[in-house]
Order: sequence, then structure tokens, then C-alpha cells
Amino acid sequence: MSHIHINVENLEFAYDRVKDTRKDDSQDNRIIKDVSFRACENDSIGIIGANGVGKSTLLKLLVGLELNFTGQIRVEEIPLEKKTLSRVREKIGYVFQDSDSQLFMTNVYQDVAFAPRNYGLPQEEVDRRVKNALSSVHIEHLRDKPVHALSGGEKKLVSIATILSMIPDIILMDEPSAALDPKNRRNLINILNEFDHMKIITSHDLDFIWDTCNRILLMADGQIVADGTPDEILKNKELLEANGLELPLSLMQR
Amino acid sequence: MSKINKAIGEIQNLTQMAEQDQWMNRIHPLVKLLLTVMYIGVTVSFDKYDFSGVLSMAVYPIIIFILSDLSFKNALYRMRVVLPVVCIVGVFNPFFDKEVAGYIELGTTADGVMRTLVVTGGVVSMLSLMVKGFLTVTAAYILIATTTIEKICYALRLIHVPKIIVTEILLIYRYITLLLTEAKRVVQAYSLRAPGQNGIKFSAWGSLVGQMLIRSMDRAENVYDSMCLRGFDGEFFIGEKVAFRGRDAAFLLSGIVVFVVFRCFPVFEMVGELF
Ligand SMILES: Nc1ncnc2c1ncn2[C@@H]1O[C@H](COP(=O)(O)OP(=O)(O)OP(=O)(O)O)[C@@H](O)[C@H]1O
Ligand SMILES: [Mg+2]
Repeated sequence: MSHIHINVENLEFAYDRVKDTRKDDSQDNRIIKDVSFRACENDSIGIIGANGVGKSTLLKLLVGLELNFTGQIRVEEIPLEKKTLSRVREKIGYVFQDSDSQLFMTNVYQDVAFAPRNYGLPQEEVDRRVKNALSSVHIEHLRDKPVHALSGGEKKLVSIATILSMIPDIILMDEPSAALDPKNRRNLINILNEFDHMKIITSHDLDFIWDTCNRILLMADGQIVADGTPDEILKNKELLEANGLELPLSLMQR
Repeated sequence: MSKINKAIGEIQNLTQMAEQDQWMNRIHPLVKLLLTVMYIGVTVSFDKYDFSGVLSMAVYPIIIFILSDLSFKNALYRMRVVLPVVCIVGVFNPFFDKEVAGYIELGTTADGVMRTLVVTGGVVSMLSLMVKGFLTVTAAYILIATTTIEKICYALRLIHVPKIIVTEILLIYRYITLLLTEAKRVVQAYSLRAPGQNGIKFSAWGSLVGQMLIRSMDRAENVYDSMCLRGFDGEFFIGEKVAFRGRDAAFLLSGIVVFVVFRCFPVFEMVGELF
């Protein structure tokens, strides 16, 4: 059995804010319901499912942005809890669904350099990492641009660069292909396919998932309802439609 | 709408100025922070009747504005919001403090009567308060316009200000922009769905303001999360060579010398006596 990067067991989670004020405990407000899975080396997992089934929430749980879950999450054998947060986060790069939330420094260089600097790397190494990260998403020309003056797609590419500069063992991406034009979408597919570590991607763009993932988790109502290869799941019209999705375009034509 | 855009633009201009590669920007942030704090302390410490002493403290901003490429006109423009507040501070002094502080001769009239203007202590203290306010605000502006917020936070950490306070300062600074962008979005969304309406209907204010606050707070939380995910733990790493160099020491020393000299000796009067 190959090395297990992420091990999730009986994960359950509800947002505090939606707790029922009527004290009616019978109401089920869990967003994630009894989710278990293991992600191993070489896994490129695509999480798919209709709007609001809990895909983004699951990713947030994996990087410890929400901690009051029940069940267990282990990342590289480290149990995820408050005191192990920084160790876990060093290994994971997480790209937000909304890139405006992800970027906060004044210009692109500063933002991409933020993580390597925090790891206390020497300036030359920081520069080298920023350069590599920018060139792997083909945005060297944006290096000195102010972040607020970028287009939506450019912001997306910058936020991907900000985590590539961390050189993480695991990449989590929430809707990475949204906002990208066809050329940049294709570039991103190539980048992801070159990245030979473990990655988990959520997307409604099933063609994108088809091109980048070798394993699919289908979610519905906070649960994983199917776990299999792209062949097994993305070609299964009945299964997809039962869960509010449609066959990927590229497969429909066949 | 355009006002919000302008405000966002102003903040961004200021940040970009702070990021430029000018000599004043390259001075060690701690030196600038210390000098600014000292300057404010010294300026405020002058007696309220010592108008010429306070006025002489203008020497620091004047030198900086001459030596650096900061524009005084822009500075005044950016400070326009706080300056009126500064001016209001001493405005009641003349009414309370009517003791005569001196006379100004206005010359004699045709029939040989001497005309004088009586200056009361209240007027003097009002003027010196206003100048004090103006000078301290200017000094703070100089610091902000030449030092990025990260560097200021870094300097604060060097003098062991607690992490939580420094992080708070940073987040508040970033929050201003977030709040403004959220305000812009909400107002835009409103006006697109209320064509031909000038301004915003009073009945919609409550929910708009609420939306703005909730959304900007959510985003602030996201930004903080994003910082933590990338290894932020309250320490600031500004990256550039932050070594304390000779010219930083020189700048700090000359600043201190100027402050001490101007605080302890009535420089204006001494210069006046030379002639
Ligand atoms: N901060 C929050 N507070 C309360 N409830 C939330 C919060 N964020 C999400 N939810 C709720 O949790 C559920 C799952 O949200 P989540 O963002 O995980 O969905 P998703 O599968 O990523 O959807 P999408 O495809 O639209 O991105 C939704 O019903 C949403 O209303
Ligand atoms: Mg989502």
C-alpha cells in the first residue's frame, strides 16, 4: 500500500452560525456527514457535486480552517488539531474559491513572497521561489503589478502562484478553473499534471476534472456517495444526473 | 460612488509611495518609527505659551520634505480630513485665557496715537496647539508615506510590542481597504438595480450598511485565514536587507541632535540676536 497523505475518518461538521436557535436539536444542520476517505501518493482527487453539498467546507476542514469537527483528520500521520496546525499547514497549499480573499499584499511579488518569507528563507531563496512560481503559471510579466489592478483570471493565477512558492506536498484547490480563459485553463491543466504530488480539486468543470484527476469523489448532501475512477463515475450518466450533475461535454460527444 | 473610488485610490497611492525605492524609504523602519515618536513627544512637550519654540520644530518636516521627494501639496491634500479636527482643538482657548501676553505695534495714526493689538495668552496657546497638531500629523504622514505597514509592524515587533497588538494594527489597516471595496460593490449593485435614483433611499440604508459590515468582516476573516495558511504567526518578515547600517545610525543621530537642540535652546531667538 502506498504512503497515505490524508486520512479522514468519520468526519462530521456543522457551522456554529447556523445552529438552530429554536433549540430544536432534532434538526440536522450538519454540513459534512460521516465522511471517511484516504488519499494516497499519486492520487489526484476530484471532488464533484451540486452547489452547496459541502465541497468547499470539506477542503477548509482539511487545512484546519474550521476546527470544531468530530471524527479524525490525519495529514502525513499528524492528527489535525490546534497545536499541530502550523506543522500541517506547511505541507498543504490551499487555493481559495474566491481569490480576492487569498491575496492581501500590495503587489504580486510581495504576495507570492509572503509564505517563503514566513518560513524564514534567505532573500535569494525567496527570490528564486517567487520566480519559479510565477514562471510556472506564466505570469512573470505581472511581477510588480499592484494586486488590485489585476483581472479576475490574473488574480486566480497569482493565488495559485502564492501556494506554488510554498512548495507544498499536497495541493488543495477550490474551483481553480473558474474565471480562466481557455488558454490559461489549458495551462493550469498542464501545471497540475506536472505537479507530481497529491492534489485535491473541487470543480463544476467536469472536463477539467477529467483532464486532471485519476480519482473522483462524488458528494451529495454532505456525504460521499461515490468514490471511483473517472471512467467509473464521469461516464455514468444516471449516477451524475441523480446527483444534479451532467456528463462532461467532451464525453457527451462520444 | 466616485468618492469611494477616490478613497480607495488614495490608500493605494499611499501604499505605493511607501513601496518606492527612495532613500527615505530605505532607512531602517525602526529608526523612522523612533524618530517619529520622539518628534511627536518633543513637539507636544513645549509649553503652551512657547509659540516660537513649537514653530521651530517645523524644521524636521521641512528638512524631510526638501530632502525626500515627498510632495507637500499632496501631503496637505491627503491630510485634509484630519487638519480641521486639529484646528478645532484650541479654538476655545482665547475665550478662557484672556491674560495679556504681549502687544503688537501697528504703527501710529495721523494724530500721533499709537495703535497696538493686544495678544492674549489664549490666542498664543491656541496657535501653538494648532501648530503642534499640524506638526505631529505631518510627522505621522511622513512615516506612513515612506514606510509600508509591514515594515512599521516589523519595527514594532523589534521593540517587543506584543504580537497580538501588532497583528491587530496590520489587520485594521487592511480592513479599511476591504471595507471600502465592499462598500463600493454594495453601492454599485444597488444603483444598478435602482436606475434613475439619486443616492440611496433612506429605507435601504440599514440593510446596505449591515451587508457591508458582514461581508467585509467575512473577507477580513478570509484574509487572516489566508495569512495563517501561508505561515503567518504574528512575526513579520519584510525580506529586504534589514541590517542596521551606517546611514541609519547617522539619520537617527542627526534627528536626535536636532530635536535636543531645538528643544533646549530657543534657536529662533538666538539666530535673531545674531543680526
Ligand atoms: N460560513 C458559513 N456559515 C454558515 N454556513 C455556511 C458557511 N459556508 C457555507 N455554509 C453552508 O454550508 C453548505 C455547504 O457550503 P459549501 O461552500 O461547502 O458548498 P460547495 O459544495 O462548495 O458549493 P459550491 O459548489 O456552490 O461552491 C451550504 O449550504 C452553505 O449554505
Ligand atoms: Mg464551493
